[in-house]
Amino acid sequence: MNKKSSNGVKHFYQHTEFSLIVIIVILFLASVFGTKNFFSEYNLMNLLKQCSIIGVLAIAETFIIITSGIDISIGAITGLSCMAIALLQSKAGMNIAASVVLAIVIGAICGFYNAIIIYEFRVTPMIATLGSQTIIRGAVKIISEAKTVSGLNKSFTVLGTSSVWKLPSLALIWIVVAIIAIFVLRYTVFGRNLYVMGSGVEVARLSGIKVRKMFYMVYSLCGMLCGIAGVMLAARINSAVPTGGEGYEMDAIAAAVIGGASLSGGRGAVTGTILGTILMVLITNAGTQFGLNTFVLEITSGVLITLAVVVDQIKSRK
Amino acid sequence: MEENRNLRQPCFITREGDKVDNTILKIEHISKFYPGVTALNDVSFTIQKGEVRALVGENGAGKSTLIKCIMGVEVPNKGTISLNDNGNWVSGMDALQAQAHGMFANYQHVNISPDLSIAENYFLGRVPRTKLGLVDWKKMKEESQQIVNKFKMDVNPQAKIKDLPIAMQAMVTISKISVNEDIKLVIFDEPTALLENEKVETLFSYIKELKNQGVSIIYISHRLEEIMDICDTVTILKDGTYVDTKSVSEVTKETLVSMMVGRKMSDIYGIKHFKPGKELLRVEGLSDETHFQNIDFTVHAGEILGFFGLVGAGRSEIMRAVYGVDRYKTGKVYLRGEETHIRNPQNALMKGIGFLTEDRRADGLALPLEIKVNINMNSYDIISSAGMINLKKEQERAEEFCEKINVKTPSIQQQVGNLSGGNQQKVVIAKLLCRDPEILIFDEPTVGVDVGAKEEIFKLIEKLTEQGKGVILISSYLPEVMGLADRLIVMSQGKITVCYDNEQMQNLTEEQVLMAASIEE
Repeated sequence: MNKKSSNGVKHFYQHTEFSLIVIIVILFLASVFGTKNFFSEYNLMNLLKQCSIIGVLAIAETFIIITSGIDISIGAITGLSCMAIALLQSKAGMNIAASVVLAIVIGAICGFYNAIIIYEFRVTPMIATLGSQTIIRGAVKIISEAKTVSGLNKSFTVLGTSSVWKLPSLALIWIVVAIIAIFVLRYTVFGRNLYVMGSGVEVARLSGIKVRKMFYMVYSLCGMLCGIAGVMLAARINSAVPTGGEGYEMDAIAAAVIGGASLSGGRGAVTGTILGTILMVLITNAGTQFGLNTFVLEITSGVLITLAVVVDQIKSRK
Repeated sequence: MEENRNLRQPCFITREGDKVDNTILKIEHISKFYPGVTALNDVSFTIQKGEVRALVGENGAGKSTLIKCIMGVEVPNKGTISLNDNGNWVSGMDALQAQAHGMFANYQHVNISPDLSIAENYFLGRVPRTKLGLVDWKKMKEESQQIVNKFKMDVNPQAKIKDLPIAMQAMVTISKISVNEDIKLVIFDEPTALLENEKVETLFSYIKELKNQGVSIIYISHRLEEIMDICDTVTILKDGTYVDTKSVSEVTKETLVSMMVGRKMSDIYGIKHFKPGKELLRVEGLSDETHFQNIDFTVHAGEILGFFGLVGAGRSEIMRAVYGVDRYKTGKVYLRGEETHIRNPQNALMKGIGFLTEDRRADGLALPLEIKVNINMNSYDIISSAGMINLKKEQERAEEFCEKINVKTPSIQQQVGNLSGGNQQKVVIAKLLCRDPEILIFDEPTVGVDVGAKEEIFKLIEKLTEQGKGVILISSYLPEVMGLADRLIVMSQGKITVCYDNEQMQNLTEEQVLMAASIEE
């Protein structure tokens, strides 16, 4: 549930965020005391790294879901900018700064393209991004000749392994993105307008919101965040694979929904999405530490997603 | 036998305790509540076999809700409705059961599938089959042609509904009723609103035919002369309560109106009027070629300009064009004497025009969001700098306007979707006023709002004109526009048919205005 929409009316313990924190703490403690390796520095660092890329994408998806849209091309865009930065560095010999900027810009362009199809041609976001996802996937395979590309700049890939104040650099990027996103949604006119658009495009238009500009901005922003995620992915795996980022869109949507974003629009918050991301990753990580069957873990994640939506439905029916 | 009894002239001498076998429908102590509004309050009456019963009342009197309850579309909170199905009393029917038992309704809004043909619409859900179980297209064609002929509709039954003019569509929905075999009760809700005179005659002869077959009719219309023409009896509803049932022979139009209204108009519409000041908005020769043509009007400071017209007259479309939502093709708009072009709603807001739309749920409110955001929704540019919202101002303004407009809520953090209809309407009004526009367009400001809230809204409009604002008031409810407006523009089919000035309005009757609103080319 959107925290802001009910602040002061509901108590904190009635929020989605509160229930998520409780579940996360219980799961965390159980893993700490129940398994040998969970509470090791290596595993915790790994957990955070796992969270970071999905975390950034989930924030991107939250912006889109708030406007009552959905973007299923985010995984593909991530894969594209991951491949782009690898090729730019290894084949074109471009320097780090320029290649990073270019990879992010490529992501933003993809988002801009989605906005054209969705706004100008009135295609529903689901279908528009399904189309662009397939196009981008094909493009990645062509530019990479369907091969893994390695040979990234060493001083760049350090980003994937280094830490700052005991935090993985990747997690730091996630945190910075999250803080900015929270700020944008809470304190800026742009953020407010996203929620209004999600409640109804006509409402937004008649309230003097430039709906067209908003569509372009939010989808480009989403693409840009995917570009950042692509850069992070390249640094983390030290190369780019043609299938990079596949399936990430589903994890991102799941994290946003578990965090309380509503697919019917107008609801969602970055804090919830962050907790949703942590919970998703924690289940897989802790489950592996407990030695549970991976397929069982898949089912658990699925049940969790369903549960989140069911709870949301029951709440909104009241 | 059954038929013989049906042919007998029914008797309506008493309204209570008739012979049981002649009563077809019993409505007993029906109440229906919506959040914040009592739509029906303990309504009881009965209808006889073969009786044509008129149902009259102001807008919001509960007619439509009552029909929905009878047809099983809405479930009443209290009371029962029972139908005499060949001697058995059936009650608590849902929509499908109601039709299975022989009750049919012709609703105000055309409800047929636009992409299907007339024939397919006639036989929707009851398609005739051949022996092999396939669709019997031949039979369908023949029977449809018969119906079309019977209703003197000069049209091919294979034609798609969406290709027909609206009046013909209305005729299809009316003639569709005759497809049914076992008809006990037919409800017509404003059936003549969209029909030409000739078709009205056809409708009336069909109603007489049904009556002769022993079918009962509930007939709803604002046109009282029609009621005098074809109805036997008339039931009056007022503010959701039952007033009386009379034989048509014992009432006149005047007595009906006084029973419908039941209170002095001046009580609720008695607002102060002010001397109009300088010109604020002038529109000249505005056309969009589809919805409205050649529109001229002027709004001055401190006056209320009323707009009246039947559904589809193009009133809202003009305002949408002036507000910059839709485009107009030709014509000019002058603001405070200077020509201007309003490109979009944002532009309109900046230039001091505010627009309260007709449908608050579809385009006025962000239902999942809190009151605070809704009230500030179209003025974030005022309370922000460099894209950053001044949260303190946002809060203060929301609190200030909630109090001014008297929105009843525990907190401004409340989701608007949880408020009652009247309170939602107040929030949209707060949103409009919060920007402090100089010209305010109110499109149906009292839709779905109870009498108390109505009065508050009227007082508010009075205060606005006192402050020297220009108000445009669009309403489908005649007493409202006639009671409030300083000048009144009447529209029909996209054109202004007449404009009454303040003096002319003193002696204006509802009939005159209705006549002007139904002028056809």
